[in-house]
Amino acid sequence: MKGRTRAVHGLFRHFLLCLELNLQSKQALVYGFLVPVFFLVAFGSVFRAETPALYGQMGQILTITILGGACFGMPTLLVSERERGIWRRYRLLPVPAGGLVLGVMAARVLIVSAAAALQVALAHVAYHTPLPVHPLQTAAGVVVVCTSFLGLGLLVAALADDVPAVQAIGQCLFLPMIMIGGVGIPLGALPAWARAASGFMPGRYAVEVLQLGYSDARGMSHAGFALGALAVIGACAAVAGARLFRWEEGRHFVRATWSWLGVALFAWAATGLAASLTGRLAVLAPPNAGYGAVSDEQIAGIGFEDLPGDSEFVSRLARPFAGAAGGPVGEIRARIRDWAPGHGADAGQSARNLLSVAALGDVSQDEHEGEIARLVFDELRGRLGDAELRRVLAWIILYPEEGSVVTSAPELGLGRRFREAIVRERIDLYSRKFLGRLLGKIRD
Amino acid sequence: MPAPMPVSVRVRDLARRYGRVEALRGVTFEVAPGEIFGLLGPNGAGKTTALECILGLRRPDSGEIEIAGIDALARPGEARQVCGAQLQAAALQDRITPRRALSLFASFYREPAEVGGLIERFGLAEKADEAFERLSEGQRQRLFLALAFVNNPGLVVLDEPTAGLDPRSRRELHRFIQETGRSGRTVLLSTHDLGEAELLCDRIGILDHGRIVAAGRPSELIRASGTAPAVEVRTVRPPNRARMESLPGVTACTGEGERWRLGTGDVNATLFGLARLLESEGNEILGLEVVKPTLEDVFLELTGRPWAAPEEGER
Repeated sequence: MKGRTRAVHGLFRHFLLCLELNLQSKQALVYGFLVPVFFLVAFGSVFRAETPALYGQMGQILTITILGGACFGMPTLLVSERERGIWRRYRLLPVPAGGLVLGVMAARVLIVSAAAALQVALAHVAYHTPLPVHPLQTAAGVVVVCTSFLGLGLLVAALADDVPAVQAIGQCLFLPMIMIGGVGIPLGALPAWARAASGFMPGRYAVEVLQLGYSDARGMSHAGFALGALAVIGACAAVAGARLFRWEEGRHFVRATWSWLGVALFAWAATGLAASLTGRLAVLAPPNAGYGAVSDEQIAGIGFEDLPGDSEFVSRLARPFAGAAGGPVGEIRARIRDWAPGHGADAGQSARNLLSVAALGDVSQDEHEGEIARLVFDELRGRLGDAELRRVLAWIILYPEEGSVVTSAPELGLGRRFREAIVRERIDLYSRKFLGRLLGKIRD
Repeated sequence: MPAPMPVSVRVRDLARRYGRVEALRGVTFEVAPGEIFGLLGPNGAGKTTALECILGLRRPDSGEIEIAGIDALARPGEARQVCGAQLQAAALQDRITPRRALSLFASFYREPAEVGGLIERFGLAEKADEAFERLSEGQRQRLFLALAFVNNPGLVVLDEPTAGLDPRSRRELHRFIQETGRSGRTVLLSTHDLGEAELLCDRIGILDHGRIVAAGRPSELIRASGTAPAVEVRTVRPPNRARMESLPGVTACTGEGERWRLGTGDVNATLFGLARLLESEGNEILGLEVVKPTLEDVFLELTGRPWAAPEEGER
């Protein structure tokens, strides 16, 4: 076997050994699997009343598990092995240091992923939490978040002189993210200053990535910034950790340590600033939290560019009626007013149903399509009032795949059935047109 | 295990500082292929630092290191392929077994030794599948020695190999090192034990304050030293001092009462003269010993300081 092949073979054996030793260690099993189950139960006891239970918290739960494994588990292992001289012996091997460290990190990704999978399965069995909407995206999210946090873990291992120091430094990362970083306490429950601060911490982005993959119909395609933030923060920490990596105990802080620590912290600051400057620090409410959790910042972040004109082919909208509409339009108004799906207990879903009527008129090219849309707008304003309607419309825009839509309404003369996707697309357009008017951003 | 190609080591002007402390100050020495070379020195002389630089554990501030013709500072990975080492302070994971450890470490090398053979050779057969945490100190020591041979190395580096061992294990290890030398491998070891160095090493380099103060065969170094051998005698009655001082070969006479030490340039002549003197005095010999100069005397002569017995774990 050639030298390079031998080296790869050796590194793979080392990776397998890391996995095996981890599974043989009672302590590692307790911290790696039992503690995550404890966190799941803790969250379950608080959020089990929601329907579905824990659906909006899975991003937080998985993030805590990954944080624990990456910021405590791996550095504790690395530092304890370093203290005992194991890494000093490794250093005599004819392979680069990075390969051995990568083996430890890869093993940790697998272990943490297994713990995350266990949590998902237990949540499903014990609390009937739905399984991820995008299982592959969620799995990929776990790997991405874990890799990023392992970068932080590597830096913790490099900075800590001994195992107690790992605990101290790890807590410095863990606690702020849990308390004010949107990981333990939902962002919506935090004061404005804490929400702003959370933008400077990777935990927030981890929750966002995982929650989008887990429960948002849009999936992680909307998590570009969060993924970028995790990549930048993780990469800077990993580079700093690699540069400061210690094979043996005994070296203390030198000037280079501060410089590389500065590089790692700069990534946090730069990410937070970028998020702040691009208006990304608005709170993403969990989908099942409903329109009531939509914040003003979220509403302010919605754009109205590139909407079709009101008299164009798509999403027509008649001008406001001068007086009481009579004739066929008056009949349509009466039928819409009495239409049962528009009077459900859930105001958000009822609004989505009414918007479906506007969408069906549009896609079926009904001769009164513009008037139907105007009637729906008037009806919604009349029922909900402008303030509540703003939140409802924003909720529908932010979570276009939530709830259900009506794809055919024969009782309203709109009997032709259309694909759900096209109905949802038109609902989104009308919601933006209506919200723009309510906010004064579109002139009626 | 097939005998590997013996490997030469060349170290030139090695320097290493720790803050204000100069651990190595231009250390230069060479080890010929197949030779057992010992770095000998008291506490803090720089032995371990020198070995760590050679093994690539520590980067020297300046200097050159060549192992088997390979520039070890520029190509440490290549140098490590031909080099096996046992370190003073090392450990393995608690739950790893000797078989797993040997198998893992062997998997990194181009020409690994056969793991089963290593287990047999180092007397680990009964404990091959036992967790590291359950091995005794001696078994651990043997495992680390086995790990040093896992790549069938041409050069074996041993840092204070007998430190902390009981006398029996020490004797076993001495025998093993001698066998290793006879198998054609080059051995580079550090020790603070003068007797060990004299017993095991073909050549030694005496390190003091980060500098090699003398290098050569132990017997040559002793012969070249200015310290004379001595005859130590214990008698029934005090002998006549003046007559002893005038014995053939005697250069110095110290002692009192019945115990005397006679420095001499001619041991045979002094012994013969001493026997005749005591017989003529009607005196009787209770004890007689010829004391040859040792490496301790060489060290004293070279540094002006007596050899201090080092404590365990000195670096």
